[in-house]
Amino acid sequence: MSEEATSAETSKASAKASDTTTAKRSPIIVCRKIVRSFWRAKERLDVLDELDLEIAEGSFEALMGPSGSGKTTLLNLIAGLDRPTSGTLTVAGTEVSAMGDAALARWRSQTIGFVFQHFNLIPVLTALENVELPLLLTSLGSSERKKRAQIALRVVGLEDRMHHRPQQLSGGQEQRVGIARAIVHDPKIIVADEPTGELDRKSADEVLHLLERLNKEFDKTILMVTHDPAAAERATVLRKLDKGKLL
Amino acid sequence: MTLSGLSIKNIGHNWLRTILTVVGTAIAILSFVLIRTTLSAWEAGVDNAAQDRLSTIHRVTFVMPLPKRYFDEFNGARGRIPGVKASTFMNWVGHKHPTRETEFFATMAVDSGTYFDVYPEMSVPPDQLANWKENRQGAIIGEALANQFGWKVGDDVTLTGTIYPGDWKYKIEGVYEATKKSVDRAQFLTHWDYLNDSLPEGRRDMIGWVASTVDDASRAADISAAIDAKFDDQDIQTRTMSEKAMTMEFLGGASAILSALDIVSLVILGIMMLILGNTIAMGVRERTHEYGVLLALGFRPKHIATFILGEGLFIGLLGGALGLLISYPIVEQGLGRWLEENMGAYFPYFSIPTSVSALALGMAVALAGLAALVPAYSASKLDVITALRRIG
Repeated sequence: MSEEATSAETSKASAKASDTTTAKRSPIIVCRKIVRSFWRAKERLDVLDELDLEIAEGSFEALMGPSGSGKTTLLNLIAGLDRPTSGTLTVAGTEVSAMGDAALARWRSQTIGFVFQHFNLIPVLTALENVELPLLLTSLGSSERKKRAQIALRVVGLEDRMHHRPQQLSGGQEQRVGIARAIVHDPKIIVADEPTGELDRKSADEVLHLLERLNKEFDKTILMVTHDPAAAERATVLRKLDKGKLL
Repeated sequence: MTLSGLSIKNIGHNWLRTILTVVGTAIAILSFVLIRTTLSAWEAGVDNAAQDRLSTIHRVTFVMPLPKRYFDEFNGARGRIPGVKASTFMNWVGHKHPTRETEFFATMAVDSGTYFDVYPEMSVPPDQLANWKENRQGAIIGEALANQFGWKVGDDVTLTGTIYPGDWKYKIEGVYEATKKSVDRAQFLTHWDYLNDSLPEGRRDMIGWVASTVDDASRAADISAAIDAKFDDQDIQTRTMSEKAMTMEFLGGASAILSALDIVSLVILGIMMLILGNTIAMGVRERTHEYGVLLALGFRPKHIATFILGEGLFIGLLGGALGLLISYPIVEQGLGRWLEENMGAYFPYFSIPTSVSALALGMAVALAGLAALVPAYSASKLDVITALRRIG
């Protein structure tokens, strides 16, 4: 209990500190009175309850909270995988809550980079081909796609593993390939859902260091959902969510 | 990598299942090709029948004979029919091998003087033909029949009569080779005179049918009508038709079997489609989470559907190609050669027609595509979040 309180304080302090450092930058994610409800039998369940949130461009934010608090639901909304029941959600200047399926998919492919907990690499493809996947939706030629995928793999330090398949890589390497896939199309925002959840401490540190680099050196806005306090400490802003509301 | 490349790479998710499905498809295609080739070989006589040859039979059925004197109206002894170039006659004798009764071959008593003028596509060495014409008990046999029973020129052969009972002794005087696909390569040809003279008085001077070649194949219908008109006022009327029509009538009894085989070949393709559909559906179900990832990355439902369709088409293409690859040595070289040697009367030419190969490959691909339609449609309706939550 005392640990939670400490954590909450840290969160608020971090948020304040971050607000100070990023005050000059405009918000890239703006949530206004976001409600996301699900129906279980005939009972309405508000997973997000009139949530207001602003995330500054170029920030690295961690989102923590107990299971069922609405972290992943919020992440899915911001990433354009889901739509709010009510409220407005503007991401990178686009009101995603009002977009149709096709437009939303196109927007996602250009604006968002995904890092998943379980890496989610396609097992029949090599690391290079997995990284190249998002570029298949662009008009880039084959050689240009390959070149960009190689660069992305170089950024994550896996250039020498580009022809390996996922089953030939360690968990940490798989996640770094996942990160390369998330940045290959140069998105503005990277959403990471428990990116270190499947990794040992050393691999987790490597992945977090990589996310920090992407944030600082490449100016990517990163929103990371995590249960790991050590991971959360690496973010510049730490937010806590409980019962659909930000604390 | 390309979108289509990604679709094809998906077959590598479960190699064992893919290989089994491709092999299953290949076996179905092999069965289809075998049945279709059998039907095609069976009907080869019809398809390759001479366009310029007519058959004149009893008006009621070819089983009933015509008087021998009718032939005189054809050959100039008592008249000539305008447009008819040459004519001959023959009787179906129906002899059997005394010990290998189930091995069918056509035995015909023919007019030795005119037969090979009307059937020039049956090539007999001149010395053998001359010897046969000299010997009333002589026989000329097809090369396939010679191979089937190991008969050669000079052999004495005794056959058992069925339509004309008793033991019939012949000497093999010649072996003919077929120069066209319309020819049955397993016939046993004897002298009509020998048959006629051996019959009791009441059964003599009757012939099975008259075969005639015409000057102009495009006038075959008019000439047929003219032939039949000539016998309109006789006690027995005739029916003249093209060789093709005659062959079809002769094979008419087997049409039910042929139709059944036709249906079986389609049923095999139906089973193949179900196997493919099941495999594709299993793969799609297992990869739901993966499709969720692709959707999250920005791929559209139409992409997912296309991947699945592409995968199905590729498996169908692989199975069809493998099926054809194994069909040629098995059906054409192995079984086909054996059938031609041993059942030449039924299957004088047993080879896979190009149209059957094309149809088999086309059906494999098309049905695989059809089988993939439902899984592709289902996958295209996936909700991204639900798909991402699905494990395995």
